[in-house]
Amino acid sequence: MSYVNVTGLSKAFGQNQVFSDIEFTIEQGEFITLLGPSGCGKSTLLRSIAGLNSVDSGSLTVAGEKITHLAPQKREIGMVFQSYALFPNMTVEENIAFGLKMKSVPKEEASRKIARIIDLVELKGKEHCYPHQLSGGQCQRVALARALVVEPRILLLDEPLSALDAKIRKNLRVQIRRIQKELNLTTIFVTHDQEEAMLMSDRIFLMNNGQIVQSGTPETIYTQPANAFVAGFMGHYNVLDRNSVLNLFGLDSAQAIAIRPEAIYIREPGRQYPAQMTEPKKAIIKDHQLLGSVIRYTAQIGANEVTLDALNRSADALIPEGCPVELLFDRNEFQPVGA
Amino acid sequence: MQNANLFYHKTVVYSLVALLALPIAATLMYSFSSQWGATVLPDGFTLKWYSQLFSDIRFLEAFGRSLFVCVSALLLALLLVIPLAFVVFYYYPGYDRLMNLLILLPFAVPPVVSSVGLLQFYADAPFPMLGTPWILIGTYFTIALPFIYRAIANSFMAINLRDLVDAAHLLGASTPKAFFYIILPNLKKGVLASMFLSFSFLLGEFVFANILVGTRYETLQVYLYNMRQTSGHFTSALVMTYFFFIFICTWLGSRISKSNAL
Repeated sequence: MSYVNVTGLSKAFGQNQVFSDIEFTIEQGEFITLLGPSGCGKSTLLRSIAGLNSVDSGSLTVAGEKITHLAPQKREIGMVFQSYALFPNMTVEENIAFGLKMKSVPKEEASRKIARIIDLVELKGKEHCYPHQLSGGQCQRVALARALVVEPRILLLDEPLSALDAKIRKNLRVQIRRIQKELNLTTIFVTHDQEEAMLMSDRIFLMNNGQIVQSGTPETIYTQPANAFVAGFMGHYNVLDRNSVLNLFGLDSAQAIAIRPEAIYIREPGRQYPAQMTEPKKAIIKDHQLLGSVIRYTAQIGANEVTLDALNRSADALIPEGCPVELLFDRNEFQPVGA
Repeated sequence: MQNANLFYHKTVVYSLVALLALPIAATLMYSFSSQWGATVLPDGFTLKWYSQLFSDIRFLEAFGRSLFVCVSALLLALLLVIPLAFVVFYYYPGYDRLMNLLILLPFAVPPVVSSVGLLQFYADAPFPMLGTPWILIGTYFTIALPFIYRAIANSFMAINLRDLVDAAHLLGASTPKAFFYIILPNLKKGVLASMFLSFSFLLGEFVFANILVGTRYETLQVYLYNMRQTSGHFTSALVMTYFFFIFICTWLGSRISKSNAL
């Protein structure tokens, strides 16, 4: 039996079914991510695991103990909120100490634990600051420390990085992952950012409309999307329907085909391409976006528009709009996907 | 150009302030003057009127009664409104709009009209209400309600109530503990500011005090009214004491609401 078992979990607010029949298991020390667009039910699912929302049906066990209807106080689950939810009337130290105080941990032991956790989240020297004196990143680290100090069985992170700016976000996700590994902490992370999910997780559960549509390691989800939604959400996949596939490549596929932008090449004269490439197809460049090291082109090919990524090698390499090009598709990267 | 403009603005503001302050300054001077009749300036200055006022047992009693009524009404409002606002904002946030409507209702009826209504309603009550401080406390409670509710509602809106209570729950605190350790300390500023402002407002309320209770339980307002026939110097000293007290309360109220220290 796995460390966390979620079986048939469902929740509705009135007529609105937020999630239904959610099933998954998590091993101890695993970092999993609930990924999905806004409103897909991932945060409500997380709150239900924490006990902050009730569930209509299903069961939840942690370390063999059934906790489906247990009060949040008794679940031994730590949570970090998007809004940090630091207590504004308390200093950093008092915030972190709160959980220990509620559990009546002896003072000496509490101080030792607090000092250790403050060290771990690198907040030394900020113990006596109030939350309004801290930056967003520091606040989030206090929130993390506060959740960790009580040694929860599971740590829940509800979009903890989305209110922070890009640089701090990058640092903090590395730091969260480091701490999680160091403490071997079972963690459920909620985000709508697929890059964040792929960087941090051992496994990803991709959600849409209250259902888990695909689960697996970041590699599997990215390279083998189960359907058009996953393909679209994970990596700007081009999804070509059966007719287009037939017209373009003469392939009679039972399903639509998803192709990653980086698996489409603009033919350069004189260059040799591997055998799995399709014949060159005539296309016209419609638009481009500069993404730093990569240029993302939109090209019109027959009745379809495809996006493709090219390395941004030099400023001269940029292909202007309206320019005719020939595109090559990597056949090995064709992913059949359901609708 | 800007200096000329500034000069103009300052002139307008200071003239207005001077105009408004003039009667108060005159009253203050009158309260300190031994006699001020036929001459432009008073004949002399004295503290006689103040010492007479503060040695008048009737004044001290009236002051005490006013304090009792106002503080009781405010405490009652706090005791009822804080848990109510917590329930509204934590469990039923949609009801805030209904609450806003409800708390404004006492203001829809002019005091003279509602006091007559109260007189009639409690005339045949099985227990005596009219002429007692209790009816005044109840009435003042309804007057203070909008100020107190709004201030507390604003404090609730300023903090992320739901997440804070949820975080406390997950850290092992029960709802009452979360309320006392986390929510109440964050309401302190809003509560104190609204208390002082409502207090100064209630201390000056005359219509309900006079009609519902009058001399049977003489409060400061009614005492002032009843003293109108005595020496002008004496009533000036009384008015200035009154002003000073209300000014201190209002000042404290606005200072607390602006400060970040709490």
